[in-house]
Amino acid sequence: MLPPFPYPQVKCLLAALSALWLLACGGPPEPEAPALVVQPIPADALSVQQPVGVPGATLIETVAGDLATFNPLVNESATGSAVIGRLLDSLVTLDPDSGEVIPNLAHTWEISEDQLQYTFFLRKGVCWSDGHAFTADDVVFTWNAFFAKKLDPATGQPLLDEQGRPQYRYNTRATFSQQINGQEPIIEKLDAHTVRFTTPEVYAPFLLFGGGQSILPKHALQTAFEDGSLLDQWSLETAIKQPWSLVSLNAFTLEAYRPGERMVLKRNPNYWKVDSQGQRLPYIERIITKIVQDVNSSNIAFAQGLTDIESIAPDNVAWVKRGEQAYDYKLLDMGPSSSTNFIWFNQKEVKNAAGEAAIPEHRLAWFRDARFRRAISYGIDREGIIQGVYFNRAHRLDGYVSPKRKFWYNPAIRTYPYQPQKARQLLLDMGFQDRDGRLYDAAGHPLQFSLMTNSNNGLRVEMATVFKENMAAIGVSVDLQFLDFNTLVTKISGTSDYEACMLGLGGGAPDPYAGKDILMSGGRLHFWNPQQAEPATAWEARIDELMRSIGRHTDVERRKADYFEVQAILAEQQPMIFLVSPKDFVGYRTAWHNIRPTPLGGITWNLESLWRTAEP
Amino acid sequence: MIAFILRRFLAMIPLIFGITLLAFALMSLAPGDFLTPVRAQRDVPPELIDAIEKSFGLDQAWYVQYVKWLGNVFSGNLGHSWTYKLPVTDLIGQRLWATFLLSLSAFSFAWCLAIPLGVLTAIYRGSLLDRVVSFLAYSALSIPEFFLALLLVFFAAQTGLFPLGGATSIDYDYMSLSEQFWDRARHLVLPTLALSIGSIASILRIMRANFLDVMAADFVRTARAKGLSAVRVNALHVTRNALNPLISSFGFAFSGLLSGALMVEIVLQYPGLGQLMYQSILREDQFVVLASVMLGCVMLVLGNLIADILLAWSDPRIRLEKKQ
Repeated sequence: MLPPFPYPQVKCLLAALSALWLLACGGPPEPEAPALVVQPIPADALSVQQPVGVPGATLIETVAGDLATFNPLVNESATGSAVIGRLLDSLVTLDPDSGEVIPNLAHTWEISEDQLQYTFFLRKGVCWSDGHAFTADDVVFTWNAFFAKKLDPATGQPLLDEQGRPQYRYNTRATFSQQINGQEPIIEKLDAHTVRFTTPEVYAPFLLFGGGQSILPKHALQTAFEDGSLLDQWSLETAIKQPWSLVSLNAFTLEAYRPGERMVLKRNPNYWKVDSQGQRLPYIERIITKIVQDVNSSNIAFAQGLTDIESIAPDNVAWVKRGEQAYDYKLLDMGPSSSTNFIWFNQKEVKNAAGEAAIPEHRLAWFRDARFRRAISYGIDREGIIQGVYFNRAHRLDGYVSPKRKFWYNPAIRTYPYQPQKARQLLLDMGFQDRDGRLYDAAGHPLQFSLMTNSNNGLRVEMATVFKENMAAIGVSVDLQFLDFNTLVTKISGTSDYEACMLGLGGGAPDPYAGKDILMSGGRLHFWNPQQAEPATAWEARIDELMRSIGRHTDVERRKADYFEVQAILAEQQPMIFLVSPKDFVGYRTAWHNIRPTPLGGITWNLESLWRTAEP
Repeated sequence: MIAFILRRFLAMIPLIFGITLLAFALMSLAPGDFLTPVRAQRDVPPELIDAIEKSFGLDQAWYVQYVKWLGNVFSGNLGHSWTYKLPVTDLIGQRLWATFLLSLSAFSFAWCLAIPLGVLTAIYRGSLLDRVVSFLAYSALSIPEFFLALLLVFFAAQTGLFPLGGATSIDYDYMSLSEQFWDRARHLVLPTLALSIGSIASILRIMRANFLDVMAADFVRTARAKGLSAVRVNALHVTRNALNPLISSFGFAFSGLLSGALMVEIVLQYPGLGQLMYQSILREDQFVVLASVMLGCVMLVLGNLIADILLAWSDPRIRLEKKQ
């Protein structure tokens, strides 16, 4: 027989462990949410013209990557913007079909004769999710938070930095992006439901950029604004412990958040949109969003019937499609996306640490020659990339603007179909000589350069490989460098010691002026030769001029003509050689109704109208 | 004893100093910084980047940043995470429980299974049981943790017996307390397996070898000779002596409680500290990285200390201090 278990300590330990387990299960005690006051439907409620549905469904979806904050002032991630976008709202928004600016929290607006003043008339009776009224004070509070200055305690005057610019209390993205040529717009409250903005000069994108700004709740954030902790508000800690304190103006409010696991959004009982029968929206009772590692895991969850709606990556479409029957979902091809892939040659003359030229002089001369860039462009088999890399799930891209942006897309620019013979001939015309199939310049340098791209993007790595093969076919040799993303960005925006690069850009704001940092010669992301004091070439000077005109003119036809010319110049000069634009795919369970995906709005633009038939 | 513990804690100070200095230097050598991804975005105004750079002190040399950070640490402030806009301590606190629970369950599973198995295989040396267990142990030792985790993900996806990731189900918040308990337990099974199988094998091998050594010792023969039953000899005398060398490895295992699950957490999408650290390293959110490095270091020292104390307790021949 065994002796009695001799260690009483072990028993204590076991008891303590069980207690711990229970603690971890229950989590920390949470302060109770205050009861929500449901206010009557606003007089100015927006009536949504879509078939009437049945309320009460739960929508389940996944999101790739956790978010870092719920505070719109500090958020930098796309995931964060998507989630915050379901809580906050703006004065105007974009029509998901036409891309025009349409009313939202403001039911109308007026632009003054001199095009400097924008007056927005807000909907009356609209409330935040906690029942507090939404008024012009919230709009004024939001803009004052962007532009609040640090004051000198002694004199009460704004503190200036070394360049003589004012120092802001809260350095947010809007603080700088909402300035117009370094000057702030002025905002006034005319009455409780009218606000007026005055821009320092005529600034065409203001209606979209200024009117599209998310509005913050004054009653919830005023104290934090005054004590200097505005940027620390609405953190993950708040979301975990007091999700109800994230006051919402959109269709949903935050009910619960668990880091790395999921968040739960609940219907906002005070939402200001109604259906065609005057019933308050949204129909969805809860949205449960599971946080997963990456797009692939997210797509897998959808393909197993675990989630209701999903954007599908082009390289996953084939296998996701296989489950359509088994799990009652449907995949839709939304056409080309707004993201673009391109190559450019570095045209900046830079010295490395040792004082030598980072790019050999003869290569820099090629890169600066438009004939060279055109020849390369003719030598790229874009159709081959579409078939070989994207399995036909991409769209050929000839210019800066993706065909998705129908309104701003210039279809009549110079194109570069795959013509290896012509590419070769153009290079021979430039003075290159053919020796056993490889090209050499007059001084005997082989036609060779290195191309870098980021190693963590599999599709891009494959595209670079196709590019290398295309170039070899016309006698050009390319050395591929696959780099870590941070290293790549440091080279592009800092040291400039590289020869050519392949990269992609996401959508960006749907106004041509949003591209000014890329297109204008002084821009930070003017990839091929950033931050020039004076435009290096006549065509860059012309683009600068056109972009300034696009910023200053509100006449849409004039802006369109200017932007078309920008696209034509870029196509002619090929500073960026565009390759392809991947297509967008969305999927949804067929039990859901009112799903009406559009290229601009995706599948969730009318989230408030979605409803599903009950499970059998 | 108290003097011994104090000495250990004092020795920790230069250690933490050195380790954080190294971590800081390495991070500054890595290309880019926290703002690099922001620089690659198209609609970020350059003035904003300048302003953030200044407010984070990123425009200064790394050693200046380090000294500043050190000053804050001495005044009890481990810093703010740049990504999350939260004090680092709060951020780690959010994830601590999940990882602690996982490590603890893996730890107890491994030890509770490995020690009896080690004893049995030693007692029945050369039997079929011994051979099968040894074979399995060697195979387990040769499979890396992350690969095992991948296999388990595949298993879960194919059979649907276990959840694919996470620590709780989607409807967790609406469950009763007992359902919540089982839900957590179900989510812990795969990560626990992935994390513990390797250590089961190694503990088992050590235990078996020690047990065989001790079984051949003189005092065991004496105990048998004086008529004690085989069970009593094995359970009380042999096991206790054979455990001694394992107690030092207990210290190392303890140090890994909070940081050892990194790979498994990432592959199995378990929302613990490891995921947070990994993300922070990728984002170069340096104060979070430094705090996790410090945490790992403190756990290592603590683990060794506990191992030493346990050893003194289990083996009366060891004295931590010289008798005056």
